[in-house]
Amino acid sequence: MSARRIACLLVPDLPWVALVRACPELAGKPLAIAGGSGPRADVVAISPEAARRGVRLPCTVAQARAACAALVVRTASPAFEDAARRALLDAALSASPRAELAAPLAGLRAAEIAVFVDASGIGACFGSEAGFASALAARAHRLGLPAIAAVAGSRGVARIAARRHLAGWLERPPGEPAPTEVVPPGGDAAFLAPLPLELLDPPDALAERLGRFGLRRVGELLRLPRRALVARLGTDAARLLALALGEGQEPPPPAPPEARLEETAALELGVDRLEPLLFVLQGLLSRLAARLACRGLACPELELQLRLAGGGRDARRIGIAAPSLDVRVLLRLVALSLEARPPAAEVEAVAIACEGRPLRGDQLDFFRPAGPAPALLSRTLAELEALCGPGRVGAPVVVDTHRPDAFALVPFAPPRAGAVRETAPRYAQPRTVRALRPPVAAQVELRGGRPAALRSAAVSGRILQLAGPWRTSGNWWSETERFAFEHYDVATSDGSAARLRFDPLRGCWEIDAIYD
Amino acid sequence: MAPTPLGAREPRLAALLRDLGSQVRQGAPPEAPASRCPTGLPEIDRLLGGGFPRGGVSEIAGPPSSGRTSLVLELLARATERGEVAAVMDAADSFDPPSAAAAGVDLARLLWVRPPDLTAALRGTSHLLAARGFAAVVLDLAGLEPRTVPGARLWPRLRQETAATATALVILGDRRVAQGFADLALDLAPASAHFEGAFFTALESEALLVRDRRGGELRRAPLRWPARKADAA
Repeated sequence: MSARRIACLLVPDLPWVALVRACPELAGKPLAIAGGSGPRADVVAISPEAARRGVRLPCTVAQARAACAALVVRTASPAFEDAARRALLDAALSASPRAELAAPLAGLRAAEIAVFVDASGIGACFGSEAGFASALAARAHRLGLPAIAAVAGSRGVARIAARRHLAGWLERPPGEPAPTEVVPPGGDAAFLAPLPLELLDPPDALAERLGRFGLRRVGELLRLPRRALVARLGTDAARLLALALGEGQEPPPPAPPEARLEETAALELGVDRLEPLLFVLQGLLSRLAARLACRGLACPELELQLRLAGGGRDARRIGIAAPSLDVRVLLRLVALSLEARPPAAEVEAVAIACEGRPLRGDQLDFFRPAGPAPALLSRTLAELEALCGPGRVGAPVVVDTHRPDAFALVPFAPPRAGAVRETAPRYAQPRTVRALRPPVAAQVELRGGRPAALRSAAVSGRILQLAGPWRTSGNWWSETERFAFEHYDVATSDGSAARLRFDPLRGCWEIDAIYD
Repeated sequence: MAPTPLGAREPRLAALLRDLGSQVRQGAPPEAPASRCPTGLPEIDRLLGGGFPRGGVSEIAGPPSSGRTSLVLELLARATERGEVAAVMDAADSFDPPSAAAAGVDLARLLWVRPPDLTAALRGTSHLLAARGFAAVVLDLAGLEPRTVPGARLWPRLRQETAATATALVILGDRRVAQGFADLALDLAPASAHFEGAFFTALESEALLVRDRRGGELRRAPLRWPARKADAA
């Protein structure tokens, strides 16, 4: 059995990365993220450009501004950070079915997020473990998250291997690929031995005592007798030793089957017009679509939640004819929904979510022509729905009712090419009609109680031949849905054959179909 | 076994052909090539040279009750019977699912689009063509006001888009609109309705092939609905 291997995908500066991911226009600017408002608020993260211009942590907003006049200061956004965490997990889940977010850290490492990924045996899928690490980092980068990837025999060692590249992380030139590290199988102890003890994150008191003992490197700690060390230095030392010895090899749990993805944005100034709101939504949808694409999923339905001024909420579900990833189409559907029912007040925050669903696959057939490719068909259906509006695109179905003008549409999901209909349904409809929706009002001349001539916008003239009446009625128990018709098949002197009906409930004549 | 030398085989082949005589026939391409979408109606398929051309624009024009819709439903029924998918861009909002089901259309393989206006119908047709893989796309413009039907600028583009696919684009209308940009145009004559006793039983019409890009002279074929199918003929 191959040794357990675990990868760590590490983002060192979550507040900065999450903000730039949500607001790409801030990329490349000297940026400081404050933990609160006002000049005395602590700066929790800075961008590489700010570091290059002399801003150093820890500092307050006022100190950072003194170091760099052009500094852009933004407040940390928990919503952006949570979305960035989920996106990092999505990048990991796109490469391995087992991944989990590491527990958040405190103190100096509070801005760090990490995802652990089961890498056992998975290197072969990417050529090598180095290839796997590079793929992980590249996928995270595609989601707007510059991350360091490392592979080792345990979570702790993988994380330390990733942290090794933090030196110079902020100073690295823009566009340079994120660094990766692979600790060879069985080489964890040898890898750790020359590293400084600070990488193991000892508590301050323990670090000071170890320093007084003259212990600087992990290897020096491991050479000491374990039991005696724990007896003298306590449980913190035991945790440090466990980390250094590569414990914590249990694989991350499998990903949950549901794939609910959410992106949120808090608006500093309330938005009361559709255009700026759509601009915000476009960014959210782009990020959502990138995450879905990363995991090979598509969006079957959107859930849009708006937080309104005055504490109100506007929640709506926006159906899509077929799962899609096309941001233009998704935005059009959202715009249609908002145009049809605008928010009741200024919008202060937006959240958009969906349950990712795998795109439909299709089995080709040697002897039958292939239909549209599933991905292309999904996109076309979504585009058509955006163009025509909801409920106007789909496969027709015959409704089980006596009402002659009833019809329904269901989502278009054709059986695979070559699949044969189990039983061809038989219907009593004798001839083809073109429905008139809504029916056209007609003036009818009666002779002997039977129609003799009619005039309408669709058909007019003397009635040359006539069959009927055929009476239908139904839903008599419902005041709003009950119907009753007396139908006649008529051939008129203008050359048309039509279906004429008398509605005794309303006392009117109508033409509801033309035989064609 | 060693192969027979070519020189020795020729006299044997000649003797064999002489013995078989009239039983040997020259090979020929199939009657209905894959580049056509047949309707299953023998008279119409003969008239059209196997069916409506794939990758081409066809027009069916005729007054109400001339059997235009019935003809289109036969085309859709044959396409879906073969396991292919088809679409109806219903600009007139007059598609009737029970009629289609009665004509034999597999509704699960039929995409019905009900555009709110003509502009959406035309843009939607472009989307359907771009999706590729549809055997037939029917653009139903019948019953629309003549002045709302688009002018000549649109049709070259639709024809170009259709030519890049294996889809038969069929435009259904009261009159022909694509004119010279159609590969094939069929005019249906006003029909006569038949009543037997107290029942309306049939429509009889005539189809006139007024344009065929492959050339040839005007041809006509009788139509009767309910139709006689190829297997019943």
